[in-house]
Amino acid sequence: MVTPMTSQTTQLSAEQVGYLTAGPGRAAEAALARLIDAGLVRVSRDGLVTAVHSNNHGATTSVEARILSYSRTAVRFDTIVQSTANSTEMAQLHRHLLDRRLMQRPRRRHEAWWFSLAIAGGLVVLGFSTPAFFVGVPIALLFFAWQRGRGPVTKAGKEVLRPVSASDRVYAVALYGFCGKVGGHRVGDLFELSQSVVKMIPLKRQRARKSSSDGGGCGSASSCSSCGSGCGSSSSSCSSSSSSCSSSGSSCGGGGGCGGGGGGD
Amino acid sequence: MAGITDLGVGIGWRSEIDLTVERLPGVDFVEVVAENLHIGHLPESVTLLLERGIPVLPHAVSLSLGGADEVDLKRVQHLGEIAEAVGAPMVSDHVCFVRAGGLDSGHLMPVPRTKDALDVLVANVRLAQRNLPVPLALENVAALLEWPDGELSEGQFLAELVERTDCWLLVDVANLYANARNIGTDPERFLDEIPLERLAYVHVAGGEQHGDVYHDTHAHAVLPEVLGVLDELCSRVRPPGVLLERDDNYPSDTEIASELAAIRAVVDKHRG
Repeated sequence: MVTPMTSQTTQLSAEQVGYLTAGPGRAAEAALARLIDAGLVRVSRDGLVTAVHSNNHGATTSVEARILSYSRTAVRFDTIVQSTANSTEMAQLHRHLLDRRLMQRPRRRHEAWWFSLAIAGGLVVLGFSTPAFFVGVPIALLFFAWQRGRGPVTKAGKEVLRPVSASDRVYAVALYGFCGKVGGHRVGDLFELSQSVVKMIPLKRQRARKSSSDGGGCGSASSCSSCGSGCGSSSSSCSSSSSSCSSSGSSCGGGGGCGGGGGGD
Repeated sequence: MAGITDLGVGIGWRSEIDLTVERLPGVDFVEVVAENLHIGHLPESVTLLLERGIPVLPHAVSLSLGGADEVDLKRVQHLGEIAEAVGAPMVSDHVCFVRAGGLDSGHLMPVPRTKDALDVLVANVRLAQRNLPVPLALENVAALLEWPDGELSEGQFLAELVERTDCWLLVDVANLYANARNIGTDPERFLDEIPLERLAYVHVAGGEQHGDVYHDTHAHAVLPEVLGVLDELCSRVRPPGVLLERDDNYPSDTEIASELAAIRAVVDKHRG
């Protein structure tokens, strides 16, 4: 099944944006958001998700088809997000992002960690015979810390993610999650979901996104004030049939992201 | 029965479609399954509907008034408490039994249409009425079988029940259609025989034909033939209310709205 492209100037679907932003849980949220937006699933006040049609009608990706199939009978909001995040369809999406070199293969990341630790260990050993080698130990450890903090999204991934904005409520979910905020509005409110429903999803800090304007790093999960001149690249204008919100381009998506469904790679 | 003379067009409230019910235009009243509600913590959606002034009518499925077992007064009490909690003008259940000998059938089983069975039903209904704070309406069920040695037609059976208990009737035109398909009930004769002046409201629901049997699933679209039975009923009497029942495979909001509109069109056709 072909991953649909967006109307905005990006080559990423909402699911892909969700995955790159905060991992498979967020991608599952984005897929669910697309289905709610299209009226293909309904969510009740107490968080029961049910497919509107019984034949996966309307699914445009395998992840969406998986959600529709799983929700033929009512299933809890958090359960469907987490089970979709752990599904084989989501693993396929992950592989697709790896193939496009938008994400780094976990094994390669782990190799880099071990390599830097091995270098540090080697320098310690050498330092006992030649103390000058001790100088390299903090450098190797800093390299290790930098590697750990990099996250699985590659430079290319960050580049393609940079212009993505919360142009509609589905992308708002992809970027900030159902329990995040955009332009001062709760994303869940854009879908008329109660807070008791969106809070079913376990909170998870989302990956940092580079600011498009000042080059400084600014995580969406961090406060706007820490970014100085602006936070993120999101223009934060979003709309839906039932509600809308808008704000200036410098506004901050902020708020805690909710990723659910486990790690990012 | 003051206060329910014109209920309008309604829909069965179910937790899976609570937001849909809240958003649908033209929902004049709702019905809740009494056994699914609990005193002290009504669903937020039901409370919201009540705040909007939408009548909420409790509908029971477990009183087993047609059974030979003693009526479980705790179930009757629960139904009454729900009625009081939602300020309902009336409650309802079915002309059926759902348990016998300590076993629950899981289905609404038809009552033998004999004088003896009617005596039992009348006694149970009177007992329930004495323990309920509001009037009771009773609904005809969809049957896949007829008990042997029936002495009365379904219409005659219900007419005598009404006469002896002063209960109200909840006529399910989908059940009537199902009985016409499956056991040869004549809907027109049924409507001729029941006291239409005691009609509380009407149920409409969807179903599906499987081979030779029509299943009243409440999970499929309402057939035009069922609307035809409603049309026949409306040509004889102005029903105080007509309610769409949907219990599974909930379609889109648009489709549900279309079914409500189709029901309203039939009702309005006869209102001139």
